[in-house]
Amino acid sequence: MATPFPFSAIVGQDEMKLAIQIVAVDPKVGGVLALGDRGTGKSTAVRALADLLPPIQVVKGCRYGCDPKSGSSGCPDCASLKSGQKITTESKPVPVIDLPLGATEDRVVGALDLEKALSQGVKAFSPGLLAQANRGFLYIDEVNLLEDHLVDLLIDVAASGENVVEREGLSIRHPARFVLVGSGNPEEGELRPQLLDRFGLSVEVRTPQDLDQRVMVIKRRDAFERDPEAFRQTFAADNDALRQHIVKARKTLEKVQAGDDLLRTCAQLCQKLGTDGLRAELTLMRASRAYAAIQGKKIVTTAHLRAIAPLALRHRLRRNPLDDTGSGARVQRALEEVLGA
Amino acid sequence: MNLAWDDALWAAAALSIDPAGLRGIWVRAPHGPVRDQWLAELTHLHPLIRRLPGHADTERLLGGLDLGATLNAGRAVYQAGLLLQTTPTVLMLPMAERLPNDTAAILGQVLDQGQVTLGSSGMTQDTFIGVAALDEALDDEPPMTGGLQERLGVWLDLRSMGRSGGESEETRMVLDTLPALDLEALRAHAKNMPVSDVQVQAMCQTAMALGVDSLRAPLAAIKLAKIMAALRGCDVLEDEDLGRAARLVITPRATRLPPPPEDAQQEQPPPAPPEQNNPPEDPPPPDQQQDPEPPAKELDEPEVDPQHMAEMMLEAAMACLPADVLAQLAQGYKPAFASRGQGRSGDRKMSFLRGTPMPPRAGNPRQGARLHVLATLNAAVPRQKLRRLPAHTNVRLAIRTEDFHVHRFAEHSPTCLIFAIDASGSAALHRLAEAKGAVELLLAQSYARRDQVCVIAFRGTTAEVLLPPSKSLVRAKRSLSGLPGGGGTPLAKAIEQSLQVALAEQRLGHSPSLVMLSDGRPNISLQGQGGRAQALEDALTLARLWRGHGLPAIWLDTSARPDPQAQQLAKEMGARYVPLPLANGNRMAQAVNAAQNGKPLASTAAQSTPMWQKQTAPSTTPVWRNPASS
Repeated sequence: MATPFPFSAIVGQDEMKLAIQIVAVDPKVGGVLALGDRGTGKSTAVRALADLLPPIQVVKGCRYGCDPKSGSSGCPDCASLKSGQKITTESKPVPVIDLPLGATEDRVVGALDLEKALSQGVKAFSPGLLAQANRGFLYIDEVNLLEDHLVDLLIDVAASGENVVEREGLSIRHPARFVLVGSGNPEEGELRPQLLDRFGLSVEVRTPQDLDQRVMVIKRRDAFERDPEAFRQTFAADNDALRQHIVKARKTLEKVQAGDDLLRTCAQLCQKLGTDGLRAELTLMRASRAYAAIQGKKIVTTAHLRAIAPLALRHRLRRNPLDDTGSGARVQRALEEVLGA
Repeated sequence: MNLAWDDALWAAAALSIDPAGLRGIWVRAPHGPVRDQWLAELTHLHPLIRRLPGHADTERLLGGLDLGATLNAGRAVYQAGLLLQTTPTVLMLPMAERLPNDTAAILGQVLDQGQVTLGSSGMTQDTFIGVAALDEALDDEPPMTGGLQERLGVWLDLRSMGRSGGESEETRMVLDTLPALDLEALRAHAKNMPVSDVQVQAMCQTAMALGVDSLRAPLAAIKLAKIMAALRGCDVLEDEDLGRAARLVITPRATRLPPPPEDAQQEQPPPAPPEQNNPPEDPPPPDQQQDPEPPAKELDEPEVDPQHMAEMMLEAAMACLPADVLAQLAQGYKPAFASRGQGRSGDRKMSFLRGTPMPPRAGNPRQGARLHVLATLNAAVPRQKLRRLPAHTNVRLAIRTEDFHVHRFAEHSPTCLIFAIDASGSAALHRLAEAKGAVELLLAQSYARRDQVCVIAFRGTTAEVLLPPSKSLVRAKRSLSGLPGGGGTPLAKAIEQSLQVALAEQRLGHSPSLVMLSDGRPNISLQGQGGRAQALEDALTLARLWRGHGLPAIWLDTSARPDPQAQQLAKEMGARYVPLPLANGNRMAQAVNAAQNGKPLASTAAQSTPMWQKQTAPSTTPVWRNPASS
């Protein structure tokens, strides 16, 4: 495993870092879409994600990385492991799985295990990327160029949290609960609205236009490439602190309250912007709560809402081809109208 | 000295030393002696070159089960993928412009991470590859996929290079001694080479001044500079290395000129970074065109003023900008295809029935899909042992429904031609008749091609969709015959309306393109008010919006002589500009056809000669001076 670039060493990209922290605190928010030009460090930030999260406990021997505490998760491996004997657990890092554009359906969904079929004559299932990503993150670079049949498949699995395989004479279902993280350059292709909707937050990533920041990025990267391990050591303390902060925020999250007034404001905002469905309100509320938890607050305020609204709503607006103003500006405008400047 | 060729050789040498560090090199050149010479030099330097065929599938790239060997051996035999190389290897990618998106994506991922994931086990192994992508795309063809372009460190353009050869003696010496050197030690030496803050800052400043946003570029440049310094046997980075690295990495990515206040000649652009306010106290006098190195040598002392250093590097970087690129940058030109990704929906669609063949996919042969026999057999073969046929049957092969594969084809989606016809008073009325004729002719042609046509007319204060996208010849004729002329020119409205139709068509999976017939003299603003200045302003804004969507367009200038204003509008729109002052319907149709097929525009004078015999006159030549035959 190649050493990932430490998360706390990433320069700038505040919005992106915030969005990632929010989904790390509450995966139910539902994923991050990072839009921006190439070479702005989107992939670096996502791949550093594993740094933020404490290791998870998994059932040893389960290929889907199930949680030992959860009851019947419908996982075929656990069913056989749990029958009779006591299960053993092990801890492993949260999976961050890369789904390359060219991935075949076999590789994503899983397929017949050819090795077993040939050598032992046994019909067995060889799990795919969706199984590996269970309880973790599924990262798709250039998600807007993804082939249609894969998009359909992802939409379905992301919604149900379960991968149903009915092919090659196999009939298997296994849990596949993951957070979708996508990145892409919107100039090269549009995302289908259905897939867009599955992402909870969207961020716009730009290269820093400040010389000093750029120099800092290059210097850190250069130092990292010269000696990755030593570089990670320098940022180990920062990373640890950040991870503990996330763990703490996760605990506070349950206690964070959002008042009725605030929910009304959420609804008003979404109404004003004309977003389809209620997912916008839900995401906005969840993300604001996670943000409040990160800040160590017990009550969600409009300040939290104001910070989160662009991230949660930007990609849900109906596109008006003649409106030059970015959707971020439109959200701001609506915010000002609803909350007052 | 042939500076560009000299740089190209240095790039080859650096690539052969550390392909994985540089990620690779994007070579734009047609097949020809210059490229052959460069490849010969590279091959001479680096014996470890593997060719990567563009049609290689995922199995072959990443490794996987070797079906043939598996069947022979009776147990699973795995083959290593081409992307897994334990020693530094250059993967040669011929015809990179044709590289499918999915292969490019896999390559990009492996280059980024420097490791290959083996099978579904999640195990990874380090790999050491760099790519030499040979891109033969012509000027108006889309080049290699952007995602891969971006990742490859060095961009080399051999197209404008007339001849190979002419490298300096030092370069020759470095190249000749390289094969005998200990590459491992050289790599380590390069990796540990110190780089000062001033140098990093100068590189970043150069990148910013030239409008290079990606941070991969300055990183790659510094890496390249280190390798080149190591090659020269130095222990520190010198200005010469940084300048050369900037020329190879930053310059080709330039999207704008550094903002100079004064008008400059192309040969000697003022190297003024944006932050700088005071004029350079000591502008280096030597002739830029021949040799950019003397200014570098003057500044050899370690304590350099960062501003000064950035200036020097910018100058070095600008030294080899080809004149045409410079001119385009000066005009703020962006290639029209830049925003058109290969994977956009609507350009191609899958079909089970017709089109270009695609790899077969598993599926049942129903709804008209045809069974792909070979793929079906391929799928069935490895599962024979599972299916254990009873001994007494004389069936050789057990095929189950899950083995079925069907043919797949990629079909080009229907094109929709949108005609925006200027029916205002300024476009003289007789031209309107010609335009109508042209539309009818094109409609007849597109009927044969199953394309759609949409007609938008604009006059007075509004633009009106006369004919929504349709294939009906009769309807089109009827809608055109009733088109009156006269009134103002609401050009902005027209583009707005066209864009709306085009985007709607695009959502349906069609490929829209616009044919604008106008003299480009707007006098009605978007709000429907008179006034030339505001009208032009609005039209330009919408023209830019059109280009922002990456939609193709052709501008047929119908005024009596080519109008600079129309040319400007066409350029802002990213449209092909075709002056057609004496056009009649037939010639217009020809011009539109030619522009659509991406051919050079043929002279519009003769109508009877086939298009392919006369690829002479480019769009800007004054074709109207030819003896017109009416």
